[in-house]
Amino acid sequence: MPTPHDIDPRRPAHLATNRASRRRFLGGGAAAAAALVLGPSFLTACGSDSGSGSTDTAPPDDGSPATGTLRISNWPYYMADGFVAAFQTASGLTVDYKEDFNDNEEWFAKFKEPLSRKQDIGADLVIPSEFMAARLMNLGWLNEISEERVPNKKNLRTDLVDAAIDPGRKFLAPYMSGMVGIAYNKAATGRPITSLDDLWDPAFRGQVSLLSDMQDGLGLVMLAQGSSLDDPSIESIQKAVDLIREHKDSGQIRRFTGNDYGDDLAAGNVVIAQAYSGDVVQLQADNPDLEFVVPDSGGTWFIDNQVIPYTTQNQKGAEAWIDYVYDRPNYAKLVAATQFVPVLSDMTDELAKIDPAIAGNPLVNPPSDVLAKLHAWPALSDEQTQEFNAAYATITGG
Amino acid sequence: MAGVATSGRQRSRIAPYLMILPALAYLAIFFVIPFWSLFRTSLSTSGGSVYLPTLTFAWDFGNYAEAFTTYQEQIFRSLGYALTATVVCLLISYPLAYVIAFKSGRFKSLLLGLVILPFFVTFLIRTLAWKTILADDGVVVSALGSIGLLPEEGRLLSTSWAVIGGLIYNWVIFMILPLYVSLEKIDARLLEASRDLYSSSFRAFRKVILPLSMPGVIAGSMLVFIPAVGDFINADYLGSTQTTMIGNVIQKQFLVVKDYPAAAALSFMLMALILAGVLSYTKALGTEDLV
Repeated sequence: MPTPHDIDPRRPAHLATNRASRRRFLGGGAAAAAALVLGPSFLTACGSDSGSGSTDTAPPDDGSPATGTLRISNWPYYMADGFVAAFQTASGLTVDYKEDFNDNEEWFAKFKEPLSRKQDIGADLVIPSEFMAARLMNLGWLNEISEERVPNKKNLRTDLVDAAIDPGRKFLAPYMSGMVGIAYNKAATGRPITSLDDLWDPAFRGQVSLLSDMQDGLGLVMLAQGSSLDDPSIESIQKAVDLIREHKDSGQIRRFTGNDYGDDLAAGNVVIAQAYSGDVVQLQADNPDLEFVVPDSGGTWFIDNQVIPYTTQNQKGAEAWIDYVYDRPNYAKLVAATQFVPVLSDMTDELAKIDPAIAGNPLVNPPSDVLAKLHAWPALSDEQTQEFNAAYATITGG
Repeated sequence: MAGVATSGRQRSRIAPYLMILPALAYLAIFFVIPFWSLFRTSLSTSGGSVYLPTLTFAWDFGNYAEAFTTYQEQIFRSLGYALTATVVCLLISYPLAYVIAFKSGRFKSLLLGLVILPFFVTFLIRTLAWKTILADDGVVVSALGSIGLLPEEGRLLSTSWAVIGGLIYNWVIFMILPLYVSLEKIDARLLEASRDLYSSSFRAFRKVILPLSMPGVIAGSMLVFIPAVGDFINADYLGSTQTTMIGNVIQKQFLVVKDYPAAAALSFMLMALILAGVLSYTKALGTEDLV
């Protein structure tokens, strides 16, 4: 390679072109590329080699009111405008509210190491789904919620208090419940959707999305196959997985989604999707053609729970929050905004005060024929969850 | 070229090593240790509790065999996508870099600035913007549909082409810049000389410019191919269930299934494949400069 004898003065200084500097440039690029490829290794390294430390600072109970800052980590679109501000005014607490809880399993993968070492995870109150909340409880990573400091707990629906998963709801405080069913774009389907088999209609090829969460994704399919959710076996799981795989391979299923199915649905890329009830009401604002239905063969319940990790820095603040949420007039504002099914009993009057239409909305207040079609997953053992997750992930992740 | 200091003084002999010490320490902490840890993980078996598994190092090569048989489709798809993206990037970038380097005159800085400008916007936003542009109900699809140019599926989003297009768009700058740098430093007098010797323009390009720009071609190809093959964002946002890449699988294995040995084995296999590809590529093009 010939060496230039003199440097061209017009050469831009910011892109120095001698061999040595290009090599440096390349080296940096290669290192960046390696870091990209090696990304997961950092995760493992951090996971297995870090030291231990405890930052348990839960204050002893001296009967004083909650003070300071409360850090809440919640799902996106799960809050009413002005609610946090109203709580701050009422309680005198400062709330650091983050919508950074996006996926149960990913959240768990991120925080299980610090939690196992009892290190602060940057949140004093978290709102995972029921199965994840139960997992955290069984691992001993949750603080009990004081009955005394949450007197409004008496407003909980009785069917929720009697949960087999956490008798008396000592650790898991339900935040919102809702239905997993089918959302569809009636203008695009051209007909009402009633059955889960409609997902496999060749007319909708490439315009169907399924939920990647194991329970939410497989539940509806298993019910449509006549499998019971009461005591799910790996055979019934596998049967549902096989059916979904067939439709994935044929190109029927466009995507497996988390909470992000709404964008594709509202934009018209997907015309029929597994969906969460309240989301659809919110999405109707963008696209009035969207409808939510619980299929004939059945839908499932989900419950998201407020839990206090044992690494919390503000136990009393978290309890004050839960008590505030469990006050019916306050809770009515949350339900009106999220349009999910209330976890408190006798909400009709309070909802009607905000908007009579909400009180009568079948998605917020499901009629008895819909309630009869809804099933709930039982508490699965750790081994079951892992086995079922792995079975479903073979198609959602590849 | 002069070697290291020729004087016998101890200090100047140590100085270069001292100067690379921070870089070596960085490399050890952020590359060698994680690399070793990942390697051990890939050959471990996991046991103990489900959610806090203990990894036991066991020379378990079965992890590799199993991961490969289960996910070979995604591995080969990723290689295919990345290769296609690299070739298209090269075809787009070479004429562009050539024009900027030789023909742009006083607009050179402006053109370079324009090339870099879109990359001030974050990667994620740019990728999501493509989702809007290519949407099934979008302008592009309806325009192509009305002139009968729509592919078989009747859509652009969630196809292999959308994913490859995303890879091209997001990584093309890493092809343009090294190409520009290698073209720009070519001495114009060499071209004059080739003309003096009655060379045609095409022949001058083939015999002078192309060989001299080869380091740029190789550097650019690697800078595009390597990140593209492990990318999962484009496949996630612009793809469908038919277009998952190996990056998506690794992400899912680490974060959802939590099968760390399988995920580590997949990462290692990917690295090995990339390394083999890069080595044979540079060998074929004959630049000893880069390896």
